[in-house]
Amino acid sequence: MSIANQPLLELKNITKRFKDLTAVNGVNLTVASGEKLVIIGPSGSGKSTLLRSINMLEEIEEGTINFEGREVGYVLRNGKRHPDRPQAISALRAEIGMVFQHFHLFPHMTVLGNVMEGPLTVQRKTADEARSIAIDILEKVGLSDKRDVFPATLSGGQKQRVAIARALAMRPKLMLFDEPTSALDPELVGEVFDTIHTLADEGMTMIIVTHHMGFARELADRVIFMESGSFLAQGTPEELFSIAHDNERIRGFLNRLL
Amino acid sequence: MRYNIGRVLLALLFLWMMTGNCLGAVDYDHLFRQSSDLMAQGDLDGALALLKKVPTPAPGEDAGAFVSSRMQAARIHASQKAPDKAIADCQEVLTLFPDNSEARNFVAALKEQAKPAWHTVLSDTIRFLPSLAKGALTTLLLVLCTMLVSPLGGLLVALGRISTLRPISGLCWLIIWFFRGTPLLLQLFFIYYGLPSLGITMSPLAAAVLGLGLNYSAYLGEIIRGAIQSIDHGQMEAAKAIGMSYGQAMRRIIIPQTYKRLMPPIGNEFIALIKDTALVSTIAMVELMRAADQLFNTYFNITALALAAVIYLLLTTIFTFIFEKIEYRAGIYEHR
Ligand SMILES: Nc1ncnc2c1ncn2[C@@H]1O[C@H](COP(=O)(O)OP(=O)(O)OP(=O)(O)O)[C@@H](O)[C@H]1O
Ligand SMILES: [Mg+2]
Repeated sequence: MSIANQPLLELKNITKRFKDLTAVNGVNLTVASGEKLVIIGPSGSGKSTLLRSINMLEEIEEGTINFEGREVGYVLRNGKRHPDRPQAISALRAEIGMVFQHFHLFPHMTVLGNVMEGPLTVQRKTADEARSIAIDILEKVGLSDKRDVFPATLSGGQKQRVAIARALAMRPKLMLFDEPTSALDPELVGEVFDTIHTLADEGMTMIIVTHHMGFARELADRVIFMESGSFLAQGTPEELFSIAHDNERIRGFLNRLL
Repeated sequence: MRYNIGRVLLALLFLWMMTGNCLGAVDYDHLFRQSSDLMAQGDLDGALALLKKVPTPAPGEDAGAFVSSRMQAARIHASQKAPDKAIADCQEVLTLFPDNSEARNFVAALKEQAKPAWHTVLSDTIRFLPSLAKGALTTLLLVLCTMLVSPLGGLLVALGRISTLRPISGLCWLIIWFFRGTPLLLQLFFIYYGLPSLGITMSPLAAAVLGLGLNYSAYLGEIIRGAIQSIDHGQMEAAKAIGMSYGQAMRRIIIPQTYKRLMPPIGNEFIALIKDTALVSTIAMVELMRAADQLFNTYFNITALALAAVIYLLLTTIFTFIFEKIEYRAGIYEHR
């Protein structure tokens, strides 16, 4: 297999348990470079846990993660699985951007400071380099005028765009969005979707957890329906809707959304 | 009969001479006893009148009774709140005996009393201030050293407590448990008097800073740990998600956000610290409390203690003001 055809991300048999509860149950997933994946499913089905397992915010009990053809995150020592060295895990995370439902902007830093922080502290770029990267990206998400204010003064939509900019400043190869619009007032959802759309058009590989089916249909190459820690169905948006026609569970879920 | 009359006259003459002798020259004991009795009965004026009967002695004559009577009169006048008359009594003695120390001291004391109260307080203040100021500087030095050391120590034990490495978190728990659980006074004694028996000797200043530093590190450690753990967990995740290490996330993201909420409780601790420095007076350090105590014990003068209280209040007020400013600055991103 040539490098070009190699999947960017490959999950094999990912299993994550919280005590007795199996949040993610033997998931297999291959994501090609440039692919846009949308994951839907009822609350508690394990969507967030799966996303968080990819960048090691959750430690999985079983399975392997391959990123750019390399197995990452865990090492075998004396026949037992352990998380890899902290430096290796940080290096992996630096290549995977993540956007949270509740933004988690750094409140003590200005908008510019938030976006500069990754290049400055993690990539150890000079302040001038970091600033010029941050200025470019803020322009892309349309927040140049908010550069010097603190996050507390921003609207929800603006906060989420800053959070996206903060992730993009690291020039990630993969973006993970966990319900990026769920905490927003309905009238602010559009600006965040537009930003994500622009990113998609530029060829960014992304996995998005969302409840907005319209957005999923418009953007997704593939939609996955997740339930009880497993993938119940997947396909193009059209395929999924036709599957939903026959599957009571999926149909019920989609009807409740629409 | 004539014979009889002559004898009677003779006897009367003798008696007259006897009483004359008594009043005129030698025996004042009776008079002093009488005046004491009158004083005891509350008849001060009567006592004074009797005392005035003791005449000014001629040169060369015994002056003991004269001096005693005038000094007694002066005391009575002083008790009658008539300092001018009391001073006049003393002056009578001093015109004859300019060196009489009893009269001089009494005049000095009367003149001192005659001054207004603020004058006394002012002169005491001027007298006490140099040694109190010196003590206050030592207190300030102790406070500043501890303020420098204890936040660092506190941060270390706080990070240790939340560490996932059991030995480290256990050790830090133990440190906090011990230093918060025993009296500071005992810790100071142990460091200054106990450690030398283990071959570790140090100056009172070093012992004081070590004791205060450890004690306050333990308290601040719990405060800092609480503040760190009160920061939304999402902050740590967001920091990790862009590739930060635990240390980078702590240093750049988590700890800076604790400053604002740390200032009120730390300010409180530091106010307590200013007053707790008084305890190091027990390990041979002359700080403000010890200086005031020494003055009080030397002069039996409460002004020294009052001045110490004023200086403590001044210090706590200044630091309260500074902490409030820092708190405002630390949280400025929330106001804008
Ligand atoms: N840290 C945790 N400790 C214990 N249980 C957890 C933890 N995180 C998640 N879970 C449980 O794992 C299951 C999957 O949770 P997850 O958050 O992944 O669901 P989700 O699909 O993202 O749901 P939602 O749509 O509500 O965000 C849930 O039952 C949840 O209660
Ligand atoms: Mg979720």
